[in-house]
Amino acid sequence: MNSSSHRAFSLGRIAAITVNTLTELTRLKIFYVLLFFALFLIGSSIFMARLTFQQEFQVLKDIALGSMNIFTSVLAVVATARLIPQDLEDRTIYTILAKPVPRSEYLFGKLAGVLLLLALSVIIMSALFFVVLNIREQTVLSDTARQMGAAPAEQVAEALDAVRASAFNVNLLSGIAIIFIKACLLASLTLFVSTFATTSIFTTIVMVFVYFIGHLEGIAREYWLQANSAGWMTKAFLGLVALLFPDLQLFNLSDDIVVGTAIPLALFVKTIALGSFYIVFYLLLAWAVFYRKEL
Amino acid sequence: MIRSLAVFLSLALFGAAKLPAEHALAATHRDLHLRAVDFGLDLREQIGQLGFIAALSGFRSLVDDALFIQAHVAWERTEWGRVLLLFQQVTTLQPRAVLFWDMAAWHMAWNASAAALSDRAQPRLALRVKAQREYFALGKDFLERGIKNNPDRPQLYEALGRLYRDKYLDHEHAAEFFAKAAQLPGAPSYDKRFAAYELSHCEGREKEAYEHLRQLYDLGERERLPTLLRCLKEMEIKLDIPLAQRIPDQLP
Amino acid sequence: MTEPAVAVIGVTKLFPIPFQWRSIVAVRDLNLQVSAGQIYGLLGPNGSGKSTTLKIILGLVSPTQGRSEIFGRDSSLVASREAVGFLPESPYFYKYLTGAETLRFYGKLCGLRGAKLRSRIDELLELVGLTSARNRRLGGYSKGMLQRIGLAQALIQEPKLVVLDEPTAGVDPAGAREIRDLILDLKRRGITVLLSSHLLGQVQEICDRVGILADGALVREGALDDLLAIENQTDLVLEDASPELVGEIETLAAKSGARVIERGRSRTSLERIFLEATEKPKKEIADE
Repeated sequence: MNSSSHRAFSLGRIAAITVNTLTELTRLKIFYVLLFFALFLIGSSIFMARLTFQQEFQVLKDIALGSMNIFTSVLAVVATARLIPQDLEDRTIYTILAKPVPRSEYLFGKLAGVLLLLALSVIIMSALFFVVLNIREQTVLSDTARQMGAAPAEQVAEALDAVRASAFNVNLLSGIAIIFIKACLLASLTLFVSTFATTSIFTTIVMVFVYFIGHLEGIAREYWLQANSAGWMTKAFLGLVALLFPDLQLFNLSDDIVVGTAIPLALFVKTIALGSFYIVFYLLLAWAVFYRKEL
Repeated sequence: MIRSLAVFLSLALFGAAKLPAEHALAATHRDLHLRAVDFGLDLREQIGQLGFIAALSGFRSLVDDALFIQAHVAWERTEWGRVLLLFQQVTTLQPRAVLFWDMAAWHMAWNASAAALSDRAQPRLALRVKAQREYFALGKDFLERGIKNNPDRPQLYEALGRLYRDKYLDHEHAAEFFAKAAQLPGAPSYDKRFAAYELSHCEGREKEAYEHLRQLYDLGERERLPTLLRCLKEMEIKLDIPLAQRIPDQLP
Repeated sequence: MTEPAVAVIGVTKLFPIPFQWRSIVAVRDLNLQVSAGQIYGLLGPNGSGKSTTLKIILGLVSPTQGRSEIFGRDSSLVASREAVGFLPESPYFYKYLTGAETLRFYGKLCGLRGAKLRSRIDELLELVGLTSARNRRLGGYSKGMLQRIGLAQALIQEPKLVVLDEPTAGVDPAGAREIRDLILDLKRRGITVLLSSHLLGQVQEICDRVGILADGALVREGALDDLLAIENQTDLVLEDASPELVGEIETLAAKSGARVIERGRSRTSLERIFLEATEKPKKEIADE
């Protein structure tokens, strides 16, 4: 009678939950509002015609990466925060967990759904951004070539190279990858918070604070690590911030990438690795809380 | 209760483990001059509480662009004081943006200075000239600070060279900065020529200038531009170079 | 002796009240057995611990003391849930899925796939009478349809036990009757059913055995017939009986020392009247 057909870990089950979560999330109204917002920002930068091309490209890149950063961060938190509370409220979580589905798989599937959504949004936004950038680059290139028609070929080539150099840059891709990793980290952390929070509003508010503190963690950490003469209360507070919060500032490389700073491969790999560690760790913590949670 | 404690402890333990990694990564950032922004009280006073928080939360470049566009509008309205103030903020927020330093200096040394010289509200020429010189100095200051933040990029050296050449008519310094720019990776090929041209205007350094120009000439056809040829000819005459060593006359 | 479908052994469940050094006792030293093939009704007023008991059986909540088993496997094991299907009280499934997609989702969670899953979906939609609504979004389903798709979902992996929490709550009598018929159908197929309800009439109609919970403790338990039978009383229902006949019977009864406690016209139940009145127009619509 002991049918041993049950597998302790099944990618099929996780995939089912992931696909379902992704479907659920794409029905979110907020997703479209935010997408519209991103499109607006990217679109609006087309009208920066009165700036010189270097300025225009820089502002375009700033706005595109900046809005990607905002959009993915907000989406990561808002989308993740409501997953578990919504399932609890609708009691669908009972029907799912009453099936032979380990709770770890439920969490994995949910997070994977959010990460997939984030990846899709990042890909869509990047594609739009690169199309806009390319169109503007081509326009500027042909304008430049026309204006410099009489100049020696070498000078024209140099000018065109300058235009190309200030437009697309491979480092932009690293910047986008890091924005994505940061959003994934936030999603994983939000999932962890939502396993012990009672409402999605609470989770979102906690995450807003985490977001700001996370950006200050670097400052707290450096003060804490320095042997200075701060009082023990201050020290304890700084230590707590440094230990409990991730340093989100480390994932803000796009500001520097936009202005043409090259990001060494080692730094890029380390940043992605750190982000991945965070994602896995928060997922494990979420599981630790959720594993025995009374539903 | 016990579980919450365990979760809290593992969070702290992981925190302790990740600290060195974060610390090292932050150090790498500093070495690369990333995030070279000093989030101090000064900046907060300059850009206001909201902008400060936004800048701290990863939206630095967005805040920065907003300020830059404001600066651009202020320039169109020729509000020079505001242009200066906004560019101070823009460059403070994004010290790695060579473009912003360059724009700031250009607005000061070229636009604002010219406006000051022809300021109808100031009848005394001496004061107008004084104001013009002050704007030159502001432009120079922007470029020098920009170079300090971006020592590895040629653009600002070149801009400083231009400023010395066109505004201060200081060929010695101009040559120096064009030469510095030329040495850095990514510098346009004309920086080397500019440095040599400037040297040729410096009393007593004609020999040096001649050698540089000749070197460039020997590089081949692509360097033999009209200005270079003219300049080289002048030096040959000035230094009395033996006819055999002189470059051939160009066909008209 | 076959093993019981459900065995709850000495279960106590305390819920701590946050920020107070007290707990609420949801279930108190509960022992319960549901034999395979039965329909077991768990009765009790709201807050008596019915839902908590079901959640403990399904492993959604862990008992403070004691343990629970499904077909001999501990409820805390994920594998124990292979043999059970669950329909929670008034569930909302994912509104954006159609009926068929909902079943596909739950089927995949149970490891079903391919042709087997497709045929199972068709079969279940047929069983719960939702074949014509299979491609409609659940957002447009009525309460009764939701409950039926919920039941189909619970049955997707052919479990030997189905647990239903208030299966007819909020469903109109016609819908409730359909669900009742479905439950009886399950019994015919050899599936054990454990349901909770506070609607005594329904439980009485279908359950083989009932347990009554009050304040987390099992106060009465047994086979329905045994519980309801009053040892020294007998019902006698007559049709077309003349007053004379009734009088004679009463005299006869008095002679043998028995006492007539109640006499009156038999009454139909309100439920039956309601069903008869509403059934006809529905059928006509269906015929169109």
